[in-house]
Amino acid sequence: MVKEQAHTVSSYEQELDQVRGMLVRMGGIVESQMAMAMAAIVDRDEDAAMEASERDPQVDELEREVETLSIRLLALRAPMAGDLREIVAAMKISGDLERIGDCAASIARRTLRLDAGDARLSPGGLRTMGRLVQENLRRAIDAMSQQDSERAVEVWQSDAAVDELYTAMFRELVTYMMEDPRTIRSCTHLLFIAKNLERIGDHATNIAERVYFAATGEQLPVARPRGLPVV
Amino acid sequence: MSAIVAENIVAALGVIAAGAMGWRMIAGRRAATMSVAGGDSVHAAPPSANALSRMIETLDLVPAAVLVLDAGGRILHAGPGAWELFGDSLGAIMRHPAALSAVLGLGDGDRAEVDMMLDVPIRRAVRGQFRRISIAPGQPVVLATLQDGSERDALERMRTDFVAYASHELRTPLAALTGFIETLRGPAADDPPAQQRFLEVMAGQAGRMQRLLDRLLMLSRVQMSEHRKPRGTVSPAAIVARVRDEALPLLEGGPASLNVDLPAGLPDFAGDADQVVQVLLNLIENAIKYGSDEHNRAVTIGLRVRQAVPAALMGVVGAGKIHGPEMGGGVRQGIAFTVTDNGPGIEARHLPRLTERFYRVEGSSARRTGTGLGLAIVKHIIDRHDGRLTVDSRVGKGTSFTVWFPFGDGVSLKRHETVIDTSCPQPADPG
Repeated sequence: MVKEQAHTVSSYEQELDQVRGMLVRMGGIVESQMAMAMAAIVDRDEDAAMEASERDPQVDELEREVETLSIRLLALRAPMAGDLREIVAAMKISGDLERIGDCAASIARRTLRLDAGDARLSPGGLRTMGRLVQENLRRAIDAMSQQDSERAVEVWQSDAAVDELYTAMFRELVTYMMEDPRTIRSCTHLLFIAKNLERIGDHATNIAERVYFAATGEQLPVARPRGLPVV
Repeated sequence: MSAIVAENIVAALGVIAAGAMGWRMIAGRRAATMSVAGGDSVHAAPPSANALSRMIETLDLVPAAVLVLDAGGRILHAGPGAWELFGDSLGAIMRHPAALSAVLGLGDGDRAEVDMMLDVPIRRAVRGQFRRISIAPGQPVVLATLQDGSERDALERMRTDFVAYASHELRTPLAALTGFIETLRGPAADDPPAQQRFLEVMAGQAGRMQRLLDRLLMLSRVQMSEHRKPRGTVSPAAIVARVRDEALPLLEGGPASLNVDLPAGLPDFAGDADQVVQVLLNLIENAIKYGSDEHNRAVTIGLRVRQAVPAALMGVVGAGKIHGPEMGGGVRQGIAFTVTDNGPGIEARHLPRLTERFYRVEGSSARRTGTGLGLAIVKHIIDRHDGRLTVDSRVGKGTSFTVWFPFGDGVSLKRHETVIDTSCPQPADPG
């Protein structure tokens, strides 16, 4: 099927495209913030840690732009059905992306305050959790940019594994702190890092749910299938 | 005009235009949907579809990963080379802030080059070169070529990883060996029964070092090929037959038995047969090791093969609620292999971490024989195949691992007509 295109792009389509484009840009930036935060945790990369928080204003700015443009579209074009869902989803997704950027920056800042000397606090669990969250984030943004509900469902399903890891990590860190109060400082930072990773996972899931709703007009079912995906 | 421009482009890429008569390839499955995966929308007039399609005809003959973007960084077209090399990652590459800001900063005729790193699902190093040209007055497009530096990157990381792991994990058995040698020379020099006992333990430790080295080497090999898509097709029946043969030595004389459930007539899927067999053998070996605890009780291992969608989509798919961008194409199908055992099971908190290198479930009886690398290898192989690994376990009941391999959409191999849409996303061409 070959389409002959002599396409006059309506300014409505153009504006909607602009919103999509800005969301994808935000997605790309928060993905790289997340990657830098992980480099900061795993490789103790201080430059990456600094850079992750420096990207924050860009994301905030884009969020405001998406919001302004979406409201404009709603007010002037009164979109219906799928278009309406997409624009409302875009506003909410930009909020989720902005929060993800904040969490990633916060993780990166905390790694700068960690004691490098405390060898007992191996980053194994955080690394795994981070990878899983990174994978979910990437899938959520792919799902968003390609309006792909299949991917959205996968993200929504794997969040259970993130929660499981967070709970395990929480227990482990509390045990350390009870055994040896000298670790409280480092463990508290690690606990907040884990919490922030878990938050990022939640926001990625939110994005997936909104993409699914925008694409299908239906909500995801309440129960998740059994079985945990493994990173 | 456009033909001349197209030839210039090809010349710019250092390739002689062999004529624009060839087929146009496109990414049947996700091509049209990719059109939203980029940066800002075009503010200039969209390039004329005609000039663009003629240019693309020529570009697709270039044996490299070539993309055509609009001035805002959105992917208008991804050539066969780009799909072959990067597939689904093209969206993530082109929204990378380094790539997008390079593209947005280009004026007519400008070039830019950036290096990017992607972490998931597979670590990849990508170098992108961009050049903005006009295919007609006021109609800019950006040509991008992508190079894959993952192999060099993987090689460098592998060296450091190998040294770190080898020094860390080989130290324990080596220390044991050194200790026993001291004892044999000194206190046990005149005690033949003790010597025999020690020698047996030493043989065990040496065997462990051997296994560890074998596994480390296997892991390195798997990592080196990770970013290259498997080229072959494999038949589930042939895989199961090989697994049966190769699992025989593991089962013989032991407490474990293997039941295979393989329906006839399952379709082939895209994969590397040796690696798929390796995955199943590792899972079966684990089921034997961890399933039969210290009491050496009988363990029944099941290997079930089915045509299925990824586990994450089950239950949702049945209700007909999934509408991917590829209407009519439906959800990705593939082959799922499930390895079950009736062993002691694994607590939920360990499950997501099982594929970590050297991760051990504490208190497990197999810590002496396991290398801690089996599932890490499994995971790398599955990532290479764009497959999925899920695990379901209940303490006291048993564990089941499911590996799912997609049939593979053969995007890069099939010949499709192109749908070029320079303005808005479209439902994909049913491939």
